[in-house]
Amino acid sequence: MNLEIIKNTLSLMLITLVAGLLLGLVYEVTKEPIANEKQKAKEEAYKLVFDDAQSFEDVGIDIADANYALKKENYDVTINEVLKVKDASGADAGYVLTLTDHEGYGGDIQFAMGVRSDGTLNGISFLSIGETAGLGMKATGEDFKSQFAGKNVSKFSYTKSGATADDQIDALSGATITTNAVTNGVNAGLYYISTLQ
Amino acid sequence: MSKSLDCIKSGIITENPTFVQMLGMCPTMAVTTSAINGIGMGLTTTVILILSNMMISALRKFIPDKVRIPAYIVVVASFVTIVQFLLEGFVPSLYDSLGIYIPLIVVNCIILGRAESFASKNNIWLSMMDGIGMGLGFTIGLTSIGIFRELLGNGSVFGFNLMPNSYQPVTILILAPGAFFVLAGLVAVQNKVRLTKAKKAGSEISVCERTDGCASCTNALCSGKAYTIESVMEDKKEVEK
Amino acid sequence: MNLFLIAVSAALVNNVVLSQFLGLCPFIGVSKKVDTAAGMGGAVIFVITIASAVTNIIYSQILVRFDVTYLQTIVFILVIAALVQFVEMVLKKLMPPLYKALGVYLPLITTNCAVLGVALLNVQKSYGFVASVINGFGTALGFTVAIVIMAGIREKIEYNDIPESFKGTPIVLLTAGLMAMAFFGFSGLIK
Repeated sequence: MNLEIIKNTLSLMLITLVAGLLLGLVYEVTKEPIANEKQKAKEEAYKLVFDDAQSFEDVGIDIADANYALKKENYDVTINEVLKVKDASGADAGYVLTLTDHEGYGGDIQFAMGVRSDGTLNGISFLSIGETAGLGMKATGEDFKSQFAGKNVSKFSYTKSGATADDQIDALSGATITTNAVTNGVNAGLYYISTLQ
Repeated sequence: MSKSLDCIKSGIITENPTFVQMLGMCPTMAVTTSAINGIGMGLTTTVILILSNMMISALRKFIPDKVRIPAYIVVVASFVTIVQFLLEGFVPSLYDSLGIYIPLIVVNCIILGRAESFASKNNIWLSMMDGIGMGLGFTIGLTSIGIFRELLGNGSVFGFNLMPNSYQPVTILILAPGAFFVLAGLVAVQNKVRLTKAKKAGSEISVCERTDGCASCTNALCSGKAYTIESVMEDKKEVEK
Repeated sequence: MNLFLIAVSAALVNNVVLSQFLGLCPFIGVSKKVDTAAGMGGAVIFVITIASAVTNIIYSQILVRFDVTYLQTIVFILVIAALVQFVEMVLKKLMPPLYKALGVYLPLITTNCAVLGVALLNVQKSYGFVASVINGFGTALGFTVAIVIMAGIREKIEYNDIPESFKGTPIVLLTAGLMAMAFFGFSGLIK
């Protein structure tokens, strides 16, 4: 009886050990391609939200500080990265940011946004979004995203009765939570950029 | 050769996990908000099912009977994690929309059910065929439910608008209650088919009362057995004796 | 987000059964009578709360510390399976009355995907220890509320005249769909 228990334990342990080692191996092998893929997606998103950018430069902005500032303003949003944008002539053109918004209906929403030096929002692009297909997912459509582009306002708000002003966004029908999350995320980014200037 | 074809056929048609066995209903309801999510979840599960079936079949002589369930879980969980890495790296949009339901494939009834009832008793080749058949059956089930819900709930299929502009989508179908309604309809149709068959055969009419909990959801450890309160109580009594 | 909001959101707004489709098994299987449903609910509250605490400690103290967070799925499912067995043994030895009340339901819980689901969600939302436990408790409470209401409705449905092919599971699912619609009303509670 005791022998059987030992044998069972040992074989289960062996299986778990092999499984764990294999997983570690696969993780190590795939880690780099996955990171590269993510980096590529991010760079593409940056190009999309700042089409005339020549290069992006890390100017050593303290992310922890930035997030503390956002928290104080009651934004449930985290900044992941802030890069300075140089245009073709080498002059400062603005900033690009990656933000993670925790208010989405289907979990976190990660997106990139580009802001010009004069505070104009150049555009937004989603990096990772898992909202309901057919509802919240419509946020990734041009119709919704383009409402943010090219506007110089300090804060957006959303409306269900048709946008009339520059700072108003038409809510996605049936997906107020997603609309709210995205609008809030963009506002957080704009607020942070305004503190930089 | 014909035996392996039989395996595939039974997975897709006669023992279809979604329409006939009603297994793995949690992911079915959660991800079929669109056709593309349905097919993505289906294929992900298929890959894991094939791999775990083959591995468990290869290890079937080595795994001691008493600890087989934890051993199966370890094998399945490892494959799920590996597939999760790959999805995250190379199909990030699918990874985002399936979200937490990818790791939850571990507790999907179909996978442990097939491990217990098929892979642990058959050779690697047949187990692989069984995995392909069951996986494709599941994929077809999820995709067709996804097409149905997306078409009526959003007017599109695979993201392409098919309905005329005047069509007002029945949005509730892609929301949570819609999942319950669609599934209710599906089971009702299944019951209807059984009733008609039973009537034709002249036998006693028996409505499929699948309320044992096992058949309706991702019931990992029951692996196809009816696992009701009553049966557990009986087990307890036997133990006490 | 403060702790109260986490609990309300987990229990009512994002109800585990009605909006996330986790734990459908027992929800359909053990909801025939109110008292068994309540027993199941009690056992689920007990297990999920403990499992949230334990998985959180393991995640933050072991997996993160040794930089092996990719093992989370495999570790969580094993820990949960072992935990349920362990809880069963401890209850049997130390608290026989509680074991009598909940014991039957414990083996059924290992098979409940809600337990693993909550553990994974806690990590995904990067909740701390207290928030994880509150979220686990809230989720399980939501499960209990849903299953007890469902059992109450089913006791009444027994006497209704239902079309032959809708008897059994289909009518339960339809009822669940209507409940899910009703629970949408709670989304107004947050913001």
